Amino acid sequence: MEEQLNKQFKPLNKIAIPKLQKLKKIGYDVNAKDKIYAFLFLGPSLLILSIFVFYPMLRTLYLSFFLTNTLGKPTVFVGFNNYVNLLTSSTYLNSLKATITYVIAVSMLTLVLGILLAQAASKKIAGINFFRTIFSGTMGVSVSVAAIFWLFIFNPSVGLLDQVTTFLHLPTINWLTQPGWAMLAVIISTVWMNLGFTFLIFFGALQSVPKFLYEAAEIEGASKSYQFFHITFPMISPTIFFISIITLIESFKSFGLIDLMTAGGPDNATNLMVYRIYQDAFLSGNYGSASTQSVILAIIISLFTLMQFKLLEKKVTY
Amino acid sequence: MKYLRHFLEFTFYIRKFLLAALIFLATVSSFGTQASAKTRTKIVFWHEMTGPAQVQLNKFVNNYNQSQSNYTVIPQFEGNYNEAVQKILNTHGTSASPALFQSMDISTNQIASSGYTTPVQKFINEDNYDVSKISSIARAFYSQNGKQLSMPFNTSQPVLYYNASLLKKYKITPPPVDPSYSDITRVAKQLYQHSDKKVKGLSIEIYGWFFEQFLANSGTSLANNNDGHSGTPTSVSFDNPAAIAAMKWIQTNIKNGSFMNYGAGTNASTNEMASFLSGKLGMFLQSSASISQLTAGTKDKIGVTYYPHLDNKKANGVSIGGASLWISNDKSLQEQRGAWEFIKYLMSPTNQASWQSATGYLALNKGSQNEPVLQKLYQHYPSSKVPSLQLSKTSPNNTNSGVFMQGLIQERTSVQTAMEQIYNGGNIRQALQEAENSMNSAVKSANKANKVQN
Repeated sequence: MEEQLNKQFKPLNKIAIPKLQKLKKIGYDVNAKDKIYAFLFLGPSLLILSIFVFYPMLRTLYLSFFLTNTLGKPTVFVGFNNYVNLLTSSTYLNSLKATITYVIAVSMLTLVLGILLAQAASKKIAGINFFRTIFSGTMGVSVSVAAIFWLFIFNPSVGLLDQVTTFLHLPTINWLTQPGWAMLAVIISTVWMNLGFTFLIFFGALQSVPKFLYEAAEIEGASKSYQFFHITFPMISPTIFFISIITLIESFKSFGLIDLMTAGGPDNATNLMVYRIYQDAFLSGNYGSASTQSVILAIIISLFTLMQFKLLEKKVTY
Repeated sequence: MKYLRHFLEFTFYIRKFLLAALIFLATVSSFGTQASAKTRTKIVFWHEMTGPAQVQLNKFVNNYNQSQSNYTVIPQFEGNYNEAVQKILNTHGTSASPALFQSMDISTNQIASSGYTTPVQKFINEDNYDVSKISSIARAFYSQNGKQLSMPFNTSQPVLYYNASLLKKYKITPPPVDPSYSDITRVAKQLYQHSDKKVKGLSIEIYGWFFEQFLANSGTSLANNNDGHSGTPTSVSFDNPAAIAAMKWIQTNIKNGSFMNYGAGTNASTNEMASFLSGKLGMFLQSSASISQLTAGTKDKIGVTYYPHLDNKKANGVSIGGASLWISNDKSLQEQRGAWEFIKYLMSPTNQASWQSATGYLALNKGSQNEPVLQKLYQHYPSSKVPSLQLSKTSPNNTNSGVFMQGLIQERTSVQTAMEQIYNGGNIRQALQEAENSMNSAVKSANKANKVQN
């Protein structure tokens, strides 16, 4: 085996070596050579990561301690003042509350509906392929198309829902201009957007549960719900764990639908953390405060993710 | 030490390669510049126009480029107003920055205090350009202490639109051309009731611009130091009699059922427009620039009035909205000169007239009113003359020449939050007070960051 490998790589060695042989004369040890290669290979990605990830992260942290002027340059060092101001401002705390409501609602609904749809689509009935395609269809829908679609449904005077309520003589709901309803509208649209992907992943997971487990359970006389909670659920638990983390983080970062549907309104009801950061930084030009919010958001997301690892991982059977 | 030596060896090859590449690039690019520099100076022009306005603007650029042989104007679309401001500030001094750019009304102070521009006053003086033929209320918005900072370009004023055919159908007397709040309430209520509650009477988008105009039209300052015209503002006032009266007027209409709330943002204006065009809404406040879209979208006759004013007070006149043209000072004098020449071209009576008839933005050159294009437009749609009349009848003073301060985007965000609360039945004074407090603390920290002496 080893010989074979050596044979295979010999030609390569010959190509790469000449420079190294020269270097050998100057005197180096094998360890040094390895380290150089490690750096040469890691170098490009390290360089790109430090320019586009590490530097901005540190810069954000730095800016969060400053007030910035019109040109976005930090001018006055204020220490933790930005943090204190934010955490005592009622609008920021409301935005925090709205974000958490949104995140929990979206990830719960996506998870539950995703499993239900996948379970339904696993049945072998005529025409099921059509439904499988439909269920995973939202994966191919871009955010802007989804927003236009839902805006049409929620339109207050010519929208689909409005026409239904008028037909049924129900009171009209101003979906996007009343605080509580607007949040609901945004949650519905996001869950709808997420479902395609979630469905597809769960559907795949369900297919991989060995059939003999169910057959054995059938013979033992276990009910369908017993089978679901004691076979399906544990078997797909790694997938549930994965999906819950993905949707949680994704919904923390929600931007497109919010921007296109409500722009954070009405009365800041859907002004989620990421959207607020965008507004503060790129519209109002308050880079200091926006950086502070970014740092807080990063901390919150990592806390949530950590919590999920601690709580959920115990329940996962790999 | 060993690592260093290996590393140096490695970099030697890299450097050799880079040098070769550099020499190659330098030769190629020098050929390129030599060919074009001989004839025309390039003027990069950043704008944020979309739709018909973009089409018309590109026409102007093409005509201008053909009309002379010194300059080539290169128009570049930069997305929306808000994002363009950040792009302009962040690219200044680099080769990517424009020689001429369009920036929105409320960024005026921010752009001016960046120190990145050459005030157009310099060129006005050099050329003895007669600015008096350009609308004074539009000029006032973009000037400081009598010095013209930028040239007003796409300019609109807020007006009230009403569906004249609908009012006729329900036998309602249309509002007068200079209506008061209660004139509008009367029409809205009648329309809602006569139509058996099928048609909503009035809508006012949740938009900070309209709030500012309620104050301007009542002769009330929004910020201290005369709305910033006599010094950097240190505080704002939202909770004042003029604002309270306007908000009360809106709440009255909400309570009697005739008012429709479409919310804030682009969706709001789109929905509002759709309802108006489909005959489900009788009146709404909007920019005069919407007029061409409205007349094209419906067969109904559309009426236009001035911005509504307080019941017992004469209208002070509203300020303008839109954007102006700025000349960057990081470009050569020749390029700046070219930018100015293009501005002059755009401001000619003929071009301003075609601008208005193509886009709905108002012609700012007083000579434009006699141009055949506009005469024809007025004949076709008599109501399209109303915004021009409102513009020319308004004489500028400190309260209707815009608010000259930074952070106006934030001002609008806080005002809009207050309006949302009020539209949803909230207490007027409490909502305004909260917004005022949050804006005041923002003004304070912004002044601190910009090192303004209070």
